[in-house]
Amino acid sequence: MNDEIKKKINERYERELNRGERFWPDSIFKDLIVSLGIFAILVLLATFVGVAPEPKADPADTSYLPRPEWYFLFLFKFLALYGQIPVIGKIEWLATVLIPGLGIGLLTLLPLLDKSPYRHYSRRIFALTFMGTVILDIVLLTVMASLPVPPDAAELAASTTLQAIGGLWIPAAILTILVLFYAFKRDIYRESTRRSLPIFITVAGSLAMVAMTIYISARAASYPKPEEVEVATTLVDQIVAGQDLYSVHCVECHGDDGSVDVIEGVEGLEGEEITPINSTDVLYTITDSAMYEVIAYGRPNAGMVPFGKAYGGELSRSEIDNIILFMRYTWDDRFEAPEIPALFPPLADGEVPSYEVHIAPIVKRYCISCHRAGKENNDYLMTTYEEILTTGENKDKNIVAGDPNSYLLQVIQGTPIMDPEKPDEEMIGVMPPKGHLKPDALDALIRWIMNGMPETAEDAAKLFVAPTPVQ
Amino acid sequence: MWKKIFDWLDERLGLNDIYKNLLDRPEPRGNWWNTLGSASLFLFVLQGLTGIFLTVYYTPSPDHAYDSIQYIMEGVAFGWLIRGIHHWGASLMVIVVFIHMLRVFVTASYKYPRELTWLIGVGLLLATIGMGFTGYLLPWNQRAYWATTVGTQIAGSVPFIGEFILKALRGGPDLSALTLQRFFSGHIWMIPAILAALIGVHLFLIIKHGESHFPTRED
Repeated sequence: MNDEIKKKINERYERELNRGERFWPDSIFKDLIVSLGIFAILVLLATFVGVAPEPKADPADTSYLPRPEWYFLFLFKFLALYGQIPVIGKIEWLATVLIPGLGIGLLTLLPLLDKSPYRHYSRRIFALTFMGTVILDIVLLTVMASLPVPPDAAELAASTTLQAIGGLWIPAAILTILVLFYAFKRDIYRESTRRSLPIFITVAGSLAMVAMTIYISARAASYPKPEEVEVATTLVDQIVAGQDLYSVHCVECHGDDGSVDVIEGVEGLEGEEITPINSTDVLYTITDSAMYEVIAYGRPNAGMVPFGKAYGGELSRSEIDNIILFMRYTWDDRFEAPEIPALFPPLADGEVPSYEVHIAPIVKRYCISCHRAGKENNDYLMTTYEEILTTGENKDKNIVAGDPNSYLLQVIQGTPIMDPEKPDEEMIGVMPPKGHLKPDALDALIRWIMNGMPETAEDAAKLFVAPTPVQ
Repeated sequence: MWKKIFDWLDERLGLNDIYKNLLDRPEPRGNWWNTLGSASLFLFVLQGLTGIFLTVYYTPSPDHAYDSIQYIMEGVAFGWLIRGIHHWGASLMVIVVFIHMLRVFVTASYKYPRELTWLIGVGLLLATIGMGFTGYLLPWNQRAYWATTVGTQIAGSVPFIGEFILKALRGGPDLSALTLQRFFSGHIWMIPAILAALIGVHLFLIIKHGESHFPTRED
């Protein structure tokens, strides 16, 4: 760039300044409004959307699907699509290093590469169309990356191909054509063609990219949505979650209050002497992290199996942490427990409990510790509504709508079921095997079965019978 | 009385000169697109302030990072607000900085005499993304842990020196307490220091050359 052009640019700028505004107050005023607006948006987001809770990092849980921060998603998608290309797709560093490096390099050196002194849009068609295509592709790749995962291999292959066409090949073709056009434009074409053709190609290609993305999104709309993992965030929620987990995994051996010192009724561990885990000996001397290790690794020599995912168990880091919180806040007298809400809302006179509101929490806390797959339970599983009504060796008699002699109602009220062939032997013992249900839980189960086991709160509400007023 | 105080200060600080040179500058007629730079600066300051408040309770260790953030969200008065602003501010900052860069590209404001301003600006964009990358790990939750595992793996795919980069980022072959510690250090000391220095130069260049005008057919 020679001095003459520089002088012209500077003079032109002077002229703009003379008919311009003042930094203070004109520009500052607008700046302040925008900054204030941004602040307001952030406060609203923090208040009404908040930060999505997420379980604690668990290096043992390799099944977790990694997802980067949203502004890296396009790169993530690009890498995934690139990896599908035969031969060069296997040379990872081309996509992870070379192409991003090239992009950043071009961006950095832009003022040195673009030597033309012109600034108006009509004289920068190559720069604008090129950048426009790249930006559009970044946006569309981000959209594609945030779609749910296809349910099966065939759909995955189809979707990946479509995405590769829309997000990789069309933009690559547009960019190549633009570069070729730029390189050879000078002599071959007339002035008007030189201007309109690149714009036409970019717009047409962009429309194709957008159409592809819309089509891919429409296909993805029918994919199953990923399951939302519920994360307990408040202390109360964590303690309750911990208690539910304790009820499922620990109660069999340690009892529902942790006081068991000789294990009873557990196959293989019958008569095993253990330290009561609700004792101060345990709670005062074992730190949270030691307790974590005990639960995660177990005490294989003493018969306690590992529960942590790292050692082949079922529990994640956060889940074990919640169990420890439950133990601390329930048995450790140095901890003052917050108010824990009732297991289920209390029932009014004449109200019929429903599975989803009342029965599920009771079953979860008192029954599924044993009544789930892999335990000795006469094949009677209780993890879902259907299972409770339809599984088990005595499925015809366990739960009979309106029948007070349903097996389930008998055993929870302290009457074991005798074997019809050998009248001296118990076929089903009282349930739960140790301890007994609280009167309100018992009442809920009786009312539920006597009124035909409604599943949803709506069904239950229809069965509501207003109590007859006492005359 | 106020006049006297002002004059005394002006004599020593040169307040009038500052006013003339910094604030009472002529500028080309601008529009709302011109506010994105100052909006980025505002977000940087806001992230700095909320970040400083967060360090009061945050503990950069795998055993306590997650719980300390839980405590900020549930136990500290207005902790949820500070964390929420910091969380969303990070995303918004990336968006604003990126659109700011696009605006400069579209109006060709990177051309003479503002080439260096652009160069510094690219540095600022990369540093902002670096802040996002290092900050993402700090909550030490599942998302953070696995995203960083993959992110550092990608950085490790550089030919020849990839192994070294991977170990330098992670502080060992795997993600560990060391990784968290150095991401924390990078997030609160190193990258902000770079950002602040680059912002200083960026602002100096803007004041020196003035804001560019929107191009017309003449340009």
